[in-house]
Amino acid sequence: MAPANQIHDFHPPISPSGLYWVVPVASDGLRFSDDGKTVTLEMKDVPVVDQPRWPALDSVATPARMTFKMVWKSTGEAVVFDDPGKQFRFTGTRASCQLQAKVEVPSIGFSWRSDDIETSKADFAVMGEEVNGRYYK
Amino acid sequence: MTAQRDRRNFLKTTALGATVLTFGTRISSAQNSESPVTANGGTDPYPIPWLDKNGSHNQPAGLNLEPSHIFHFKGRVARCSTFTGMGTDNQGNRIPFGSPTTDYGAMQGEYWAARSAQQGAFTHI
Repeated sequence: MAPANQIHDFHPPISPSGLYWVVPVASDGLRFSDDGKTVTLEMKDVPVVDQPRWPALDSVATPARMTFKMVWKSTGEAVVFDDPGKQFRFTGTRASCQLQAKVEVPSIGFSWRSDDIETSKADFAVMGEEVNGRYYK
Repeated sequence: MTAQRDRRNFLKTTALGATVLTFGTRISSAQNSESPVTANGGTDPYPIPWLDKNGSHNQPAGLNLEPSHIFHFKGRVARCSTFTGMGTDNQGNRIPFGSPTTDYGAMQGEYWAARSAQQGAFTHI
Protein backbone atom coordinates (compact mmCIF):
# COMPACT_ATOMS: atom_id res chain seq x y z
CA MET A 1 0.00 0.00 0.00
CA ALA A 2 1.26 3.47 -0.83
CA PRO A 3 2.31 5.65 2.12
CA ALA A 4 -0.02 8.49 3.09
CA ASN A 5 2.61 11.14 2.35
CA GLN A 6 3.27 9.90 -1.19
CA ILE A 7 3.30 12.76 -3.70
CA HIS A 8 4.45 10.93 -6.84
CA ASP A 9 4.43 7.33 -8.05
CA PHE A 10 6.25 6.54 -11.28
CA HIS A 11 5.76 3.33 -13.22
CA PRO A 12 4.97 2.11 -16.75
CA PRO A 13 1.32 1.51 -17.63
CA ILE A 14 -0.06 -2.00 -17.10
CA SER A 15 -0.13 -3.72 -20.50
CA PRO A 16 -3.35 -5.02 -22.08
CA SER A 17 -2.14 -8.58 -21.36
CA GLY A 18 -1.88 -7.81 -17.65
CA LEU A 19 1.91 -7.54 -17.53
CA TYR A 20 2.37 -5.34 -14.51
CA TRP A 21 4.72 -2.40 -14.99
CA VAL A 22 6.98 -4.51 -17.20
CA VAL A 23 8.89 -3.05 -20.13
CA PRO A 24 11.51 -4.52 -22.49
CA VAL A 25 15.15 -3.68 -21.89
CA ALA A 26 17.56 -2.93 -24.75
CA SER A 27 20.30 -5.51 -25.25
CA ASP A 28 22.95 -3.33 -23.61
CA GLY A 29 20.71 -2.16 -20.77
CA LEU A 30 20.98 -5.24 -18.54
CA ARG A 31 24.41 -6.64 -17.77
CA PHE A 32 25.32 -9.69 -15.69
CA SER A 33 28.98 -9.76 -14.75
CA ASP A 34 31.08 -12.73 -15.86
CA ASP A 35 31.55 -13.88 -12.29
CA GLY A 36 27.78 -13.72 -11.72
CA LYS A 37 28.15 -11.45 -8.70
CA THR A 38 26.88 -8.16 -10.12
CA VAL A 39 23.83 -7.13 -12.13
CA THR A 40 23.57 -3.65 -13.62
CA LEU A 41 20.37 -2.29 -15.11
CA GLU A 42 20.49 1.08 -16.86
CA MET A 43 17.70 2.72 -18.86
CA LYS A 44 17.24 6.22 -20.20
CA ASP A 45 14.03 8.20 -20.72
CA VAL A 46 11.69 5.28 -20.10
CA PRO A 47 8.10 6.38 -20.78
CA VAL A 48 6.23 6.06 -17.49
CA VAL A 49 3.25 7.66 -15.81
CA ASP A 50 3.07 9.56 -12.57
CA GLN A 51 0.12 8.25 -10.54
CA PRO A 52 0.32 9.95 -7.14
CA ARG A 53 -2.88 8.31 -5.89
CA TRP A 54 -2.03 4.78 -7.03
CA PRO A 55 -3.50 2.22 -6.37
CA ALA A 56 -6.80 4.13 -6.59
CA LEU A 57 -8.46 3.12 -9.85
CA ASP A 58 -9.31 6.73 -10.70
CA SER A 59 -5.79 7.95 -9.99
CA VAL A 60 -4.79 10.40 -12.72
CA ALA A 61 -1.81 9.19 -14.76
CA THR A 62 0.40 11.99 -16.04
CA PRO A 63 2.98 11.15 -18.73
CA ALA A 64 6.53 11.20 -17.39
CA ARG A 65 10.05 9.97 -18.13
CA MET A 66 12.44 8.02 -15.95
CA THR A 67 16.19 7.51 -16.27
CA PHE A 68 17.87 5.22 -13.80
CA LYS A 69 20.75 2.95 -12.90
CA MET A 70 20.39 0.03 -10.51
CA VAL A 71 23.14 -2.25 -9.27
CA TRP A 72 22.71 -5.59 -7.50
CA LYS A 73 25.70 -7.15 -5.76
CA SER A 74 25.60 -10.69 -4.44
CA THR A 75 26.29 -11.25 -0.76
CA GLY A 76 27.16 -14.88 -1.45
CA GLU A 77 24.43 -16.19 0.85
CA ALA A 78 22.65 -18.93 -1.08
CA VAL A 79 18.86 -19.00 -1.31
CA VAL A 80 16.44 -21.34 -3.08
CA PHE A 81 12.73 -20.68 -3.53
CA ASP A 82 10.92 -23.72 -4.90
CA ASP A 83 7.14 -23.85 -5.15
CA PRO A 84 5.77 -26.82 -7.13
CA GLY A 85 2.22 -25.53 -6.67
CA LYS A 86 3.07 -22.27 -8.39
CA GLN A 87 5.59 -23.87 -10.72
CA PHE A 88 8.66 -21.80 -10.03
CA ARG A 89 12.17 -22.43 -8.76
CA PHE A 90 14.68 -19.69 -8.02
CA THR A 91 18.30 -20.56 -7.25
CA GLY A 92 20.58 -17.72 -6.34
CA THR A 93 21.90 -15.53 -3.56
CA ARG A 94 20.82 -12.65 -1.45
CA ALA A 95 22.12 -9.33 -2.67
CA SER A 96 22.40 -5.66 -1.96
CA CYS A 97 20.80 -3.25 -4.38
CA GLN A 98 21.24 0.47 -4.93
CA LEU A 99 19.52 2.90 -7.24
CA GLN A 100 19.98 6.34 -8.68
CA ALA A 101 17.24 7.88 -10.76
CA LYS A 102 15.93 10.98 -12.44
CA VAL A 103 12.27 11.58 -13.24
CA GLU A 104 10.62 14.31 -15.26
CA VAL A 105 6.96 15.27 -15.62
CA PRO A 106 7.10 17.86 -18.44
CA SER A 107 3.44 18.87 -18.34
CA ILE A 108 3.70 20.17 -14.77
CA GLY A 109 7.31 21.32 -14.99
CA PHE A 110 8.46 18.87 -12.34
CA SER A 111 11.71 17.00 -12.19
CA TRP A 112 13.56 15.18 -9.44
CA ARG A 113 16.99 13.65 -9.20
CA SER A 114 18.18 11.25 -6.55
CA ASP A 115 21.40 11.59 -4.61
CA ASP A 116 24.34 9.43 -5.68
CA ILE A 117 23.70 5.72 -5.96
CA GLU A 118 25.81 4.91 -2.89
CA THR A 119 23.34 6.74 -0.65
CA SER A 120 20.36 4.47 -1.43
CA LYS A 121 19.57 0.99 -0.21
CA ALA A 122 17.03 -1.79 -0.57
CA ASP A 123 16.02 -3.89 2.44
CA PHE A 124 15.48 -6.98 0.28
CA ALA A 125 17.32 -8.15 -2.84
CA VAL A 126 18.14 -11.43 -4.54
CA MET A 127 19.79 -12.41 -7.81
CA GLY A 128 20.19 -15.73 -9.58
CA GLU A 129 18.41 -18.02 -12.02
CA GLU A 130 14.78 -19.03 -12.29
CA VAL A 131 12.56 -21.45 -14.16
CA ASN A 132 8.78 -21.24 -14.12
CA GLY A 133 5.71 -22.39 -16.04
CA ARG A 134 6.47 -24.80 -18.83
CA TYR A 135 10.18 -24.80 -17.95
CA TYR A 136 9.54 -25.94 -14.37
CA LYS A 137 10.37 -29.60 -13.92
CA MET B 1 4.55 10.40 -21.96
CA THR B 2 5.09 8.49 -25.15
CA ALA B 3 3.52 5.36 -23.81
CA GLN B 4 0.41 7.18 -22.71
CA ARG B 5 0.03 8.98 -26.03
CA ASP B 6 0.88 5.85 -27.92
CA ARG B 7 -1.69 3.91 -25.95
CA ARG B 8 -4.32 6.56 -26.52
CA ASN B 9 -3.52 6.68 -30.21
CA PHE B 10 -3.46 2.92 -30.33
CA LEU B 11 -6.91 2.74 -28.80
CA LYS B 12 -8.24 5.29 -31.26
CA THR B 13 -6.60 3.42 -34.10
CA THR B 14 -7.98 0.14 -32.86
CA ALA B 15 -11.48 1.53 -32.65
CA LEU B 16 -11.31 2.85 -36.18
CA GLY B 17 -9.44 -0.20 -37.36
CA ALA B 18 -12.05 -2.52 -35.95
CA THR B 19 -14.76 -0.81 -37.94
CA VAL B 20 -12.74 -0.96 -41.10
CA LEU B 21 -11.57 -4.47 -40.38
CA THR B 22 -15.10 -5.77 -39.93
CA PHE B 23 -16.09 -4.33 -43.25
CA GLY B 24 -12.86 -5.42 -44.89
CA THR B 25 -13.14 -8.95 -43.54
CA ARG B 26 -16.47 -9.40 -45.21
CA ILE B 27 -15.02 -8.30 -48.50
CA SER B 28 -11.94 -10.49 -48.27
CA SER B 29 -14.03 -13.45 -47.13
CA ALA B 30 -16.17 -13.09 -50.14
CA GLN B 31 -13.15 -12.74 -52.41
CA ASN B 32 -10.95 -15.47 -50.93
CA SER B 33 -12.02 -17.58 -47.99
CA GLU B 34 -8.80 -19.62 -47.94
CA SER B 35 -6.20 -16.89 -47.36
CA PRO B 36 -3.58 -18.08 -44.86
CA VAL B 37 -3.45 -16.28 -41.51
CA THR B 38 -1.11 -16.29 -38.53
CA ALA B 39 -2.85 -17.19 -35.31
CA ASN B 40 -0.10 -17.95 -32.79
CA GLY B 41 -0.59 -14.95 -30.56
CA GLY B 42 1.81 -12.14 -29.81
CA THR B 43 5.42 -12.41 -28.69
CA ASP B 44 4.88 -10.43 -25.49
CA PRO B 45 5.55 -12.53 -22.38
CA TYR B 46 2.71 -13.83 -20.25
CA PRO B 47 2.16 -12.37 -16.78
CA ILE B 48 2.48 -14.63 -13.76
CA PRO B 49 -1.00 -16.14 -13.47
CA TRP B 50 -1.20 -16.08 -9.69
CA LEU B 51 -2.94 -13.01 -8.34
CA ASP B 52 -1.55 -10.93 -5.52
CA LYS B 53 -3.80 -9.79 -2.70
CA ASN B 54 -4.80 -6.69 -4.68
CA GLY B 55 -6.16 -8.88 -7.45
CA SER B 56 -3.48 -7.85 -9.92
CA HIS B 57 -0.52 -9.59 -11.51
CA ASN B 58 1.87 -7.42 -9.52
CA GLN B 59 4.21 -9.82 -7.76
CA PRO B 60 5.43 -8.66 -4.37
CA ALA B 61 9.09 -9.23 -3.55
CA GLY B 62 10.35 -11.27 -0.65
CA LEU B 63 11.64 -14.59 0.57
CA ASN B 64 9.94 -17.56 -1.10
CA LEU B 65 8.08 -15.25 -3.48
CA GLU B 66 8.61 -15.53 -7.19
CA PRO B 67 11.25 -13.07 -8.45
CA SER B 68 10.14 -13.12 -12.10
CA HIS B 69 7.26 -11.05 -13.46
CA ILE B 70 6.87 -13.16 -16.59
CA PHE B 71 5.62 -16.72 -16.86
CA HIS B 72 6.97 -19.64 -18.93
CA PHE B 73 10.45 -18.25 -18.36
CA LYS B 74 13.93 -19.59 -17.73
CA GLY B 75 16.88 -17.33 -17.26
CA ARG B 76 18.60 -14.86 -14.99
CA VAL B 77 16.69 -12.67 -12.60
CA ALA B 78 17.33 -9.95 -10.04
CA ARG B 79 14.76 -8.61 -7.63
CA CYS B 80 14.65 -6.00 -4.88
CA SER B 81 12.23 -4.02 -2.78
CA THR B 82 11.77 -1.55 0.02
CA PHE B 83 14.06 1.16 -1.25
CA THR B 84 15.03 4.21 0.72
CA GLY B 85 16.95 7.18 -0.54
CA MET B 86 16.90 10.94 -0.99
CA GLY B 87 16.75 13.35 -3.86
CA THR B 88 16.11 16.95 -4.86
CA ASP B 89 13.43 18.38 -7.12
CA ASN B 90 13.86 21.25 -9.57
CA GLN B 91 12.69 23.71 -6.90
CA GLY B 92 15.45 22.63 -4.56
CA ASN B 93 13.14 20.70 -2.24
CA ARG B 94 14.63 17.63 -0.63
CA ILE B 95 12.25 14.73 -1.23
CA PRO B 96 12.86 11.15 -0.08
CA PHE B 97 11.95 8.19 -2.25
CA GLY B 98 10.99 4.65 -1.50
CA SER B 99 8.41 2.62 0.37
CA PRO B 100 7.78 -1.07 1.10
CA THR B 101 6.21 -1.32 -2.35
CA THR B 102 9.10 0.36 -4.16
CA ASP B 103 10.29 -2.76 -5.91
CA TYR B 104 12.12 -3.56 -9.11
CA GLY B 105 12.98 -6.66 -11.07
CA ALA B 106 15.07 -7.68 -14.06
CA MET B 107 14.70 -10.77 -16.21
CA GLN B 108 16.86 -11.97 -19.09
CA GLY B 109 16.56 -15.26 -20.93
CA GLU B 110 14.11 -17.50 -22.74
CA TYR B 111 10.35 -17.24 -22.48
CA TRP B 112 7.49 -18.92 -24.25
CA ALA B 113 5.06 -16.89 -26.33
CA ALA B 114 3.45 -17.16 -29.75
CA ARG B 115 3.82 -20.95 -29.39
CA SER B 116 7.61 -20.81 -29.55
CA ALA B 117 10.69 -19.91 -27.52
CA GLN B 118 11.61 -16.22 -27.49
CA GLN B 119 14.66 -14.41 -26.15
CA GLY B 120 14.45 -11.14 -24.30
CA ALA B 121 15.22 -8.92 -21.35
CA PHE B 122 12.57 -7.15 -19.30
CA THR B 123 12.29 -5.07 -16.20
CA HIS B 124 9.56 -4.39 -13.70
CA ILE B 125 9.90 -0.79 -12.55
